[in-house]
Amino acid sequence: MAEQPEPSSNGSKLLRTLGVESTMRIDPWWGLVVLVIILIVVLCVVSADPFWNMLRFVSDGILITVIITVSSFVLVLVLGLFGGLGRLSQNRFIYALATVYVEIVRGIPLLVQLIWWYYAFPAVIKEVGNSLGIQVLADYQANPIAMAIVGMTVCYGAYMSEIYRAGIQSIPRGQMEAARSLGMTRFQAMRHIILPQAIRVVLPPVGNEFIALLKDSSLVSVVAVTDLTRRGREYMSTHFNPIETWTMVALVYLVMTLLSARGVAWIEKRSKFER
Amino acid sequence: MNSGEPIIQIKDVHKHFGRVHALRGVSLDVRKGEVVVIIGPSGSGKSTLLRCINRLEEYDAGNIVVDGISLDNAKNINIVRQEIGMVFQSFNLFAHLTVLKNLVLTQRVVRKRSNEESERIALELLNKVGIPDKAEAFPIQLSGGQQQRVAIARALAMNPKIMLFDEPTSALDPEMIKEVLDVMLDLAKEGMTMVVVSHEMGFARAAADRMILVDEGQIVEEAVPDKFFASTNERTKLFLSKVLHM
Repeated sequence: MAEQPEPSSNGSKLLRTLGVESTMRIDPWWGLVVLVIILIVVLCVVSADPFWNMLRFVSDGILITVIITVSSFVLVLVLGLFGGLGRLSQNRFIYALATVYVEIVRGIPLLVQLIWWYYAFPAVIKEVGNSLGIQVLADYQANPIAMAIVGMTVCYGAYMSEIYRAGIQSIPRGQMEAARSLGMTRFQAMRHIILPQAIRVVLPPVGNEFIALLKDSSLVSVVAVTDLTRRGREYMSTHFNPIETWTMVALVYLVMTLLSARGVAWIEKRSKFER
Repeated sequence: MNSGEPIIQIKDVHKHFGRVHALRGVSLDVRKGEVVVIIGPSGSGKSTLLRCINRLEEYDAGNIVVDGISLDNAKNINIVRQEIGMVFQSFNLFAHLTVLKNLVLTQRVVRKRSNEESERIALELLNKVGIPDKAEAFPIQLSGGQQQRVAIARALAMNPKIMLFDEPTSALDPEMIKEVLDVMLDLAKEGMTMVVVSHEMGFARAAADRMILVDEGQIVEEAVPDKFFASTNERTKLFLSKVLHM
């Protein structure tokens, strides 16, 4: 290892002080985002009848898709952390619990899970309520959006657990040993030493999970959630124009995923250097 | 050095790694202010012995008492570890923190010191180990010798009563070994209790109160440096001929 600091960090510092970075380093992939947006705008202007009308019709569905994706993802980040730590736990019971969760969830198709949460889970609650005589449970009505969020969270939480686990395991053992030898508890070492380093490692796969979750959220259209996909189907069934409808739905998803990818790239770049 | 009660008492300690019997009944007392240098071939158990002292490795049988607290029934091992600084072969600086924050974080989290006090102590110690100008650097930007000196400073920031060194210069380029050994020599002169696993015979000659040869999980010989280097024990002579040859 050389005495002088890394040349690359020197270089970026120089660029930063010259103010060059912000103007020169615009990610070329933004061009693709702009291109798709322009395409949508052109379609809406040139042929407002199906395209603009259709876009207005599904706009509430877009909002639902965003709500489900974002809230599931936030919950997935939390659940995944617990799952990942559980998979690394020295406590056999916690380890077994986390492992069973991950293995079961990964072995069942997401669509089947979503259907189970919407149709089977409320029925189970009602049965329990009836047999125990608890009226609140017996009257339970499933909220489609809530059940969709639960289903997406439980499923993606399992995958996220494995990502966290791999990220934590990628941090050299010596980091934990050094922290422990200084008198930190396991929890303190995790919180101050291991996780801050692991988070940088898992950022790319976590970003991918967000985009995958966004796309898979279209599956909730089967369980009574009026998301973008379901609204698209509703529009098509009254206007009978599959080409225009599904092209537009696809383009809207594409804008959202491309934007997310840019966001992920931006966060990754920012976290690469200090702090 | 003959006076004072032992601050580390190791009694008949055994340790197994699967089928390997790594420590086979090791007993050793270290008095306050004593510098003990442990040598031995690789795989002899010397590092394992060192790591048992702060329970980074748990021993299977026997007992270790550090500063009056038995590690067997230490309710809170973290309390014991706060008094034992450890320096590793691979430095193990916290990679995501600057040098200064490496020194500050543990003081704040474990010792519950204020930020100002922690920083003051940190800068004092960086000065002591000779790298006050690297406080804002990240570990990866430092040479191995500098990283190891930061690691020593980080351990000292906790005001330990004992310092353990696990082959602190083995991962260093030759020209960086001296800067680390100099810091260790200063510490020894100040009266720090030190247990050092190292093959730096120059350091042992200059600083050790006692030298120990460990082989196949047992203490083969234990003597003051002058006697140790003039040992008539065949095993010691053979090993010394190898390390001194370097």
